[in-house]
Amino acid sequence: MAPLTTTTSKAASGSGSDGQEIVLGMSAAFSGPSRGLGIELYRGASAYFEHVNSSGGVHGRKIALKTYDDGYQPDPSVQNTMTLMLEDRVFALFGYVGTPTVTRVLPMLKKFQDQTVYLFFPFTGAQAQREPPYADFAFNLRASYRQETAGLVDNFVSIGRKRIAVFYQADAYGRSGWEGVRRALKEHGEEIVAEATYRRGQRFEGSMGRQVEILKAANPDAVICIGAYAACAAFLRDAVDLGLQVPVANLSFVGSESLLQLITESRPDRDRYTDLLVNSQVVPSYEDARIPAIREYRQLMLRHNPDPPQDLLEQAYSPLPQSFVSLEGFLDAKMMVKILDVLGEDPDRTNLESAVFSIQNYDLGIGELVSFAPDRRQGLQTVYYTIVDAGRFVPLDDWKRRFA
Amino acid sequence: MSLQKLFQKTLFGIFFLFGMIGVATSVLCIRTVDSYLSREYEANSKGIAKTIADASVDIILNRDLSVLQSLIDQFVEIQGISYIYITDETGEFLAHTFVPGVPEQIRTGYTGSNETVERRLPGIGDFVEVSSPILAGISGNVHVGMDMGLLSLRIQGAIGQQVYLITSIFVGGVFAAIWLMGLAAKPIAQLLSYAVRLAGGRADGADRSEKLLARDDEVGHLARLFLYFSEAKDPNRVERATAAGPNPDMSGALGG
Repeated sequence: MAPLTTTTSKAASGSGSDGQEIVLGMSAAFSGPSRGLGIELYRGASAYFEHVNSSGGVHGRKIALKTYDDGYQPDPSVQNTMTLMLEDRVFALFGYVGTPTVTRVLPMLKKFQDQTVYLFFPFTGAQAQREPPYADFAFNLRASYRQETAGLVDNFVSIGRKRIAVFYQADAYGRSGWEGVRRALKEHGEEIVAEATYRRGQRFEGSMGRQVEILKAANPDAVICIGAYAACAAFLRDAVDLGLQVPVANLSFVGSESLLQLITESRPDRDRYTDLLVNSQVVPSYEDARIPAIREYRQLMLRHNPDPPQDLLEQAYSPLPQSFVSLEGFLDAKMMVKILDVLGEDPDRTNLESAVFSIQNYDLGIGELVSFAPDRRQGLQTVYYTIVDAGRFVPLDDWKRRFA
Repeated sequence: MSLQKLFQKTLFGIFFLFGMIGVATSVLCIRTVDSYLSREYEANSKGIAKTIADASVDIILNRDLSVLQSLIDQFVEIQGISYIYITDETGEFLAHTFVPGVPEQIRTGYTGSNETVERRLPGIGDFVEVSSPILAGISGNVHVGMDMGLLSLRIQGAIGQQVYLITSIFVGGVFAAIWLMGLAAKPIAQLLSYAVRLAGGRADGADRSEKLLARDDEVGHLARLFLYFSEAKDPNRVERATAAGPNPDMSGALGG
């Protein structure tokens, strides 16, 4: 088995690929309260890349993932991108984590557009990389936050829960989700009834009492959270403790398993905290072994069990056996390999865009065919909804029965 | 009466004069610095608000609000800016930097005015809020809250430096005045001592007061005059008195 290369091997050609390997650059949160997102996305992608490398690579070239930690902070992500583009000269950027980070990186891609460095499959559903002027520099696989929030709002409204409040991170990510909720409610002739914010980097131990009180005063029917797992778990804990007994929804970015771990550990009455929880996802449930890509994911995660990038870890981390985030990383990697395969034996960055657009109705193995085109730079469109049952996230089939 | 007493009034006069100069300069300085820094602070804030307003037009009309949020998040990192919020033409809050939410005072009291206002937000602090219209106000307004606490600190710092300088000059001036008074008082004290000795018949022009008698100033004249009057009672000693100093001019000594 050939493990995934994560060292600083630079491409001899200066274009991120040489005779032996293709180097992809990744800047993500590997430290701080959101590190679980970066680490699990990396692990999922690594499982597939290791599988491909152990099978001989793509047209004989191994795939290497060059990683940097940005701690989910914009300035380090910009610095890391400079390094990846100008010093490491990676073939493409891959698997960036977060809206505030990606939003700040996009202008750099435009600035260096003559180098044709594209950003593939960032772990964010924000609009910034889906709309002009930066849409031409990124390719998305996952559904957008607008699609996730619209789905949540539509389902809540359909069961009579029209008074929707929003709890969100005070930055570009939170605002992106907030706007999604606002737009979706407008379609139903409704408005956000209350909103409360928190600062990025909030830890689970911190209190969200004030935020809960602000929302509770508006007597909402449901709360949609746009945040990361530590803050959202703290909000859910305080909401239940302070008697805000309404469904609490989270977006896919939250990191569902990490949230569940925080909210349930050391609590005998864990159901009390998860009964009203519903999370939207942009990949199907990894529990559903009927789906071919899920079987492949579970098998490869078990076989390779990728380590987090050890040189970036500040504290010990216990990897999750499976998670929605690592599944997304896995599917991102699978899609990337397909693109590199289409590029042919002599990969050239200038041909990347046309290679992507040549992909039509590609079956990733999750039941939704992927196509790209100049006006379609997002591969998947489906949003899934999950609830907690017996300590695991399972698909939500009936909103009315669960929350009406 | 001691010599210190002789100069006490002069010394106090100098202290008073220095003190008045110091206080007047400090007051003027405080007013100037306060006014200058406040105006500069407000002008900078307005500049920032206008920059955000200009950059917001395209974003509000064409792009996602997350981009607008990203923009104000970068500006709020500037020291002194405490909060930024952007409203549309209807007064709806499109983006802001408040945690855990827009303060009640701002949310309920919003008028859409672009006047500079001073705000006291309970539990948060005191702020100067400047505003700038987006697209002449038809697309909304940008509001920037500047921390008055930081402004006060800056003003206090600048004033502190000025007052420190003035106080140093004052203290130095006082010590210089005392030293100069001491210089002036020393020969008078010697003259007094000499006069006392003459009166007691324990001194004459040949004793250790020769330097005093040799001085070519008012003290020397007085010393020679005292010696003259003292020895006038003894005709034999008059010659010594006239010979003790260089060209003793009695009219000069008497005229001061």
